[in-house]
Amino acid sequence: MRGMAALIIKDWRLIIRNRLLLVVLVIYPFLIMGVIGAAFGDAGRPVPIALVNMDGADTGEAAWTGIETDEAQGLQRRFRRRGGSVREYEGMEEAMAAMAVGEVNVLLASADTDGTAAWLGAELSRDEIDAIEQDLRGEADAWHEFSTAEEAAASLEEGRSDVLFAVWEEDYPYIAETIWLEGENHDASALVQRFGRDVTEIREYASERLARDDLKRGRVDAVIVLPRGFVHALKTLDEVAVLNVIIDQSNLVKAEFAETSIRGFTSRIKDGVVRNKTEAVVAGLYVLVSGGDFFGTEVTGLEQIRENLLDLKEATGDRPDMQGKVDVGIELAETVIADIEDAAAYLRGTALPIELEVSSVAGRVLSAKDAVVPSLIALSILWTGVLCGAILMVIEDEEGMRVRLGLTEMGAFSLVGSKLLLATAVVFAQSAVMLALAVAVFGVFASNALLALVIIAAASFSCIGIGLVIAAFARQVAGAVVLSVLVSFPLIFMTGAVFPLSQMPGFMQWIARAIPLTYAIEALSGVMLRGEALADVAWQTGALLAFGAGLLALGSFLVRRRSV
Amino acid sequence: MIAVRGLSKEFDGVKALRSVDLEVARGEAFGLIGPNGAGKTTLIRILTGQTPPSSGEVLFDGEEIDPLQPGYRLRIGLVPQEPAFYGRLTARENLALLARLYGIDRQSASGRVEWLLSWAGLEEHADRQARHYSRGMQQRLSLAMGLVHRPDIIYLDEPTSGLDPEARVSLWGLIDLLAGEGRSIFLTTHDMEEADRICDRLAILVEGSVRERGTPQHIKGLLGADRVEMRLPAGSEGELEAVCGRLGLSWRREGEIVTVTGPELPDKLPEIVSTLAGRVSDLHYREVTLEDAFLRFMRGVD
Ligand SMILES: Nc1ncnc2c1ncn2[C@@H]1O[C@H](COP(=O)(O)OP(=O)(O)OP(=O)(O)O)[C@@H](O)[C@H]1O
Ligand SMILES: [Mg+2]
Repeated sequence: MRGMAALIIKDWRLIIRNRLLLVVLVIYPFLIMGVIGAAFGDAGRPVPIALVNMDGADTGEAAWTGIETDEAQGLQRRFRRRGGSVREYEGMEEAMAAMAVGEVNVLLASADTDGTAAWLGAELSRDEIDAIEQDLRGEADAWHEFSTAEEAAASLEEGRSDVLFAVWEEDYPYIAETIWLEGENHDASALVQRFGRDVTEIREYASERLARDDLKRGRVDAVIVLPRGFVHALKTLDEVAVLNVIIDQSNLVKAEFAETSIRGFTSRIKDGVVRNKTEAVVAGLYVLVSGGDFFGTEVTGLEQIRENLLDLKEATGDRPDMQGKVDVGIELAETVIADIEDAAAYLRGTALPIELEVSSVAGRVLSAKDAVVPSLIALSILWTGVLCGAILMVIEDEEGMRVRLGLTEMGAFSLVGSKLLLATAVVFAQSAVMLALAVAVFGVFASNALLALVIIAAASFSCIGIGLVIAAFARQVAGAVVLSVLVSFPLIFMTGAVFPLSQMPGFMQWIARAIPLTYAIEALSGVMLRGEALADVAWQTGALLAFGAGLLALGSFLVRRRSV
Repeated sequence: MIAVRGLSKEFDGVKALRSVDLEVARGEAFGLIGPNGAGKTTLIRILTGQTPPSSGEVLFDGEEIDPLQPGYRLRIGLVPQEPAFYGRLTARENLALLARLYGIDRQSASGRVEWLLSWAGLEEHADRQARHYSRGMQQRLSLAMGLVHRPDIIYLDEPTSGLDPEARVSLWGLIDLLAGEGRSIFLTTHDMEEADRICDRLAILVEGSVRERGTPQHIKGLLGADRVEMRLPAGSEGELEAVCGRLGLSWRREGEIVTVTGPELPDKLPEIVSTLAGRVSDLHYREVTLEDAFLRFMRGVD
């Protein structure tokens, strides 16, 4: 091992004096970490969801205005321009139907020269509607307001108005059906707001189209449409209460988050409804026993009936023929009372919902940010390890120094040894700083940082070994870098770093098992996120050391053989 | 000091060396001249243990050796054909690193490094990164790096190729100093001026085989050495034959022109001219250069 220290000092100088190497080997992984840190810094924030409440939405009304103007054609053109996606309708009936189902919220009709009318509709915001109204007033010679659609239509037909303008006004607060849950009365929208508030950020939209537009623009991650009769269905359980959910599946992670959170709070709503109903039935059953109002019918309780029968038995003590019949009645009443009590207890039991109390194996609920750090560190070990191993070795060829070094007295393994030591030190220091930064600055959770360092060291050997193997096939730093990237890239995708291993097909899992990085990620997330001890990750650590030994041996064999 | 016997090297079908025999004496400056691809670098690579020969043997001080063995390795120095130093280390750091790797203790190492820096004229630039040096300085550094451990023989593979005339002369000065210290020098070149100026003995290597060897004088002499060309009308052949025979020279005629060649021609010239007095005109003395010799041997013309 003679001369190793001098070689290491030399290599360190070569790195820090070469701006490109400095960036690639030392700084780059931190940049990546910063980017990912920034991306996940906000993780755990509520999922933005658009809510469109159609339950009771038919309780609106159109406000009709007619104006006299000679600018009818100009106004029509301007409406087309301002209205965005303007729809055309065949006649008043079709236009009003479209408005009633919420397809558009504004109509504009103008008499054409041939006597027919052109009906246009658009979905506009309040501000846009105001702007158009301003415009109309500007051109109006006279202004009429109508209380019904028929009046308005007649006015247009008879030529008293040149242009009709209708704005859909919803009757807020509309009297939608409500349901009593958790001590409060909720309409459909309030129900979603109340139960979704922990995991979602609900924004209400007037129509499905507006909500879909924002979904496409990425302003919300999902759209929930509460159909007409939603609360009614929920209350009566006459039919299944359907919630229409639209999810942007172009981003699977986003879709997954949105769907999970929606499923979460809707199942809580369902639990609440079922519990309420069951309690009502149970209460009703007790009424059968004790008497009172049984779902609107005044009943005499079974207990009263039993009392009466007992009285009857006493009163008919002298009539043995009656006693037998009365006894049958008493027995029946007692059996039914016991059965009802059993049934009530049973219903009570089933009414209790299943509650998920989520807690993490690490003893803390983890965020996406926490979960990404082990993979991030593993990737930086791979990146820096492979590149360091490859570049430091290939530099000797590029500088023509392999031959010179070969003639010196240095130990047989000094060259490979010095590269290994320096590269391990760089990888280790880098990962340690990264880990410290993640914990201290980004507040990431790491249940056992010290053990993570052990795994980092073990993982660095394999990566440096891969680097040495690459060095045997390149003669220039540029070539080594290209090869390193070519090799690392598929490795990243074939390990659990990007896709969960368990979701891969069988043969891919076997391939993943042959890649040391897989074990590094497993072990690192084990000790950082699952609070595992050395004994729990001994197998992965052992695999890493074995891979390391094998790859380093192969690498130094290939590198040394090539020098001859 | 070094001798090779029947050395051959084949790279998948390419015969780079064909049964080469050579000898370099202690303190001698030996030059291997040959065109591109002749096998010069291959021979140096074998002699410095970078690649094994396909057949043949290498003798060091009369004993057959494996060029990889430490005893030999430490006594040879190498200046490779391609520049070899760390561009981002300074001259001092480059030299100091090699001194450490040669196992020279720290104290003597720094003395040795300073000595080499001043020897190579690099003191002023000793703390600049070597990649910023001129080509000439880089080559001087490369030379100094081959000498860190005071080798007995130094292999120089085309040390001046790519240098301007001034840098070339300055490097030659350093090589002369080495020769003066009694180190053996094994130099390859295709620069005949360099070979003529530095080497005590030469070998011409063409397509992997040694075509000729000897002192520069001898090699030049083999070409019929210098020659005299003169216009001599027909009819004087008898007298010419007589004087050439007496002086040990040879002649031949091509039309009007007669060419006379032979050893020590300048000394014998007056006698020829006086013998043929009056009949000779247009007399030219043509000095043979190593360049001529080289070109002849390269073409295989003897
Ligand atoms: N590693 C190798 N593999 C295959 N062929 C080689 C190898 N090294 C040299 N050769 C071949 O051997 C022959 C001699 O090459 P060598 O480099 O020794 O020539 P040279 O005399 O040093 O030439 P130059 O003046 O260009 O340096 C050439 O034909 C070359 O192509
Ligand atoms: Mg060569």
